[in-house]
Amino acid sequence: MKKSISFLLLAVVLGVVIMAFTDRSDKSPYGMTVGTPDIKSITSLAFGPDAILLIGDSKGATVFAVDTKDMSKVEKGAAIDLKGIDQKIASLLGTTLENVAIQDMAVNPISKKVYVAVQSADGTPVLLTIEGDKIQPVSLKEVPFSSIALNNAPAEDAKDQRGRPLRVSSISDLAYADGKVMVSGLSNQEFASTFRSMSFPFTNKQDAASLEIYHAAHGKYETASPIKTFTTATISGKKYLIASYTCTPLVLFPLDELKPGTHVKGRTVAEMGSGNQPLDMITMNANGKSYLIMANSSRPVFRVNFKNIEAFQGSLTTPVEENFATEGVPFVNMPITNVLQLDKMDENRMVILQRKSNGSLDLWTTDNAPWYLQ
Amino acid sequence: MIFDRTKEVRLRVVCNLIFFVCLILSSCSEKTSDIKILWTDGKATGISIPRNSIGNISGSPEQSMIVHLVTEQQPVAMMGNYKATDDEIIFEPLIPFTRGMHYAVRVNDKQISTIEIPAAHDLPALITVYPTGDTVPENLLKIYLHFSKPMQEGVSAKYITLLQNQDTVHGAFLDLQPELWNEDRTLLTIWLDPGRIKRDLIPNKRLGTPLLKGNRYSVVVSNRWKDTQGLTLMRSFTKEFFVEDRDSISPDPKRWKLHVPASGSTEGFSLEFNAPLDYSLLMSTMSVVNESGKKIDGRWQLGDEEERMYFTPAQHWPVGHYVLQVETRLEDLAGNNLNRLFDEDISRGRKPSPMGAFVSIDFFVK
Repeated sequence: MKKSISFLLLAVVLGVVIMAFTDRSDKSPYGMTVGTPDIKSITSLAFGPDAILLIGDSKGATVFAVDTKDMSKVEKGAAIDLKGIDQKIASLLGTTLENVAIQDMAVNPISKKVYVAVQSADGTPVLLTIEGDKIQPVSLKEVPFSSIALNNAPAEDAKDQRGRPLRVSSISDLAYADGKVMVSGLSNQEFASTFRSMSFPFTNKQDAASLEIYHAAHGKYETASPIKTFTTATISGKKYLIASYTCTPLVLFPLDELKPGTHVKGRTVAEMGSGNQPLDMITMNANGKSYLIMANSSRPVFRVNFKNIEAFQGSLTTPVEENFATEGVPFVNMPITNVLQLDKMDENRMVILQRKSNGSLDLWTTDNAPWYLQ
Repeated sequence: MIFDRTKEVRLRVVCNLIFFVCLILSSCSEKTSDIKILWTDGKATGISIPRNSIGNISGSPEQSMIVHLVTEQQPVAMMGNYKATDDEIIFEPLIPFTRGMHYAVRVNDKQISTIEIPAAHDLPALITVYPTGDTVPENLLKIYLHFSKPMQEGVSAKYITLLQNQDTVHGAFLDLQPELWNEDRTLLTIWLDPGRIKRDLIPNKRLGTPLLKGNRYSVVVSNRWKDTQGLTLMRSFTKEFFVEDRDSISPDPKRWKLHVPASGSTEGFSLEFNAPLDYSLLMSTMSVVNESGKKIDGRWQLGDEEERMYFTPAQHWPVGHYVLQVETRLEDLAGNNLNRLFDEDISRGRKPSPMGAFVSIDFFVK
């Protein structure tokens, strides 16, 4: 009898241990649960570790992390040359050209598939992948995901007489580096930067670091200025956030100084001219050189050699001598204009979304244009 | 040459006519009524196709059938999900069907039916443009557009124009993408280019402020702007205003006037400013608490072209001491808040913030 009780106990203990292990193996290493994320809009995309797609939802003021499970390793992604990509997407969605807008794109660094966020005119967000000339939908139903809300504002936002919320918190850019998800945001109430750096996997604690900028073009007046686009890079062995503001100065922030609750002053390394909006920014390492590549609203694509950023130790804190001039780190105007989005396909190639002079919106990889990075 | 172009136009008209006659004929010859549109929140999120209208199909529906938009081009299968039951096949597209457009169902490459998604009818309107006053400072920072229905995003630059004496003023607004819409896409915030407003920045030195004092301007919003249902605005909207001096002074709560009601009434109090303040922040930065710090429920309303706020309590006012709390992030029309100016002159050294996060205004209901 005693023996059988001991066996029973042993069996129970073993069962509990096995169940515990089974339970653990079912859980995602990134603290995700399977379900359908309530994504209201897809305004920014970036890849985190292990093919996890980070989705910036401006309407919902939330960042979602979705496990795409798109882990088949590809060394060289298929070349893309899709002319009239917006027309192709509109047809696949059963509507006309004016009813679709490409919001952002990101290349999965493992599978080299291009993930594209599209918004239909009625506001429905759509996620697609592009591989060569294949366009496919990505289901966001019953997927492993986690999320983090960005609003630090009181839970109950101010509403107008009709009960509609008045505060808008839009996500202008999103990136992942070294276990951190970084988000830059704009608000409709204050013209200021809300820049957040959050640990991933997400925890309940947000390390909000607010950033200050000092424009080279004004030695006297200072204002806060929202980040439009950013990337991260290592310069002289130190990790930096490289950001660009709505009036295009290029600013460096040491990543290790972005501590919760502190005000960090950026070092302005270049004024890249006025009347222009930075649209997208990536880092490329090709042919033994490291470049910062930046797409602009009313200028060609800029290429900045990181060697020059390293060499430029100053900060443009005094007014520039001449108006209309560009100052600081030298940069190259690349012969590509009207680039709306760009991303790194692999070490030597970029994928570019460009409005051509004939009006066509084309998505193409720089297979036939290696000189862009030489 | 002229003859050729006329011929070309005629040919196109004939082609279009043939296309639509074919479309109508094909619609008439097929049982369009058999297909049911499935609606969710006013959006056509699916169609139900009766089994008996498509005959026998083998395997899963997507292997032999497609749904596509009817155009002059080759049919392209729409992305979406098919669900098959014994009686019907339900197709749910990735995005809702577009109102006013025709769609066709093809089985084994043969068109079996078409359906029109009825256009919406209730036209959207632009209700208000803030600031509502007819005079603004030269350094006006933002305007708000309030629509009656959710609007299409990303296109504001196409439909909003700033005019001075009928001439378009270019580069006045910041073309931000994504645009600053509220969650239900009825409120859009537009910044006047801050690079041109901040003193001493290159755009400011080169182009000056977007608005120049002493001039009359109008903001025109085109009636070609569509809502999310594809309907255009009921009418164009024009707001005229006159530009006066630059505003370089923070709003001063000491100069505001509070008109306090009598006890026992549900009459509200009103707070009178000495200049118009920012619409969105006015509606977000004020609260009333009683002596024990409990928030008084009630309704806030704007008045006098954003120069006055009204608060109507949900309950009668008991006699007592109350505090009106105003967040110091409240701004005037030029982005100057209660603590600092939009572009601070740092050459004079940094001044400590005169107030904290809140300003408290005490009042007594007798």
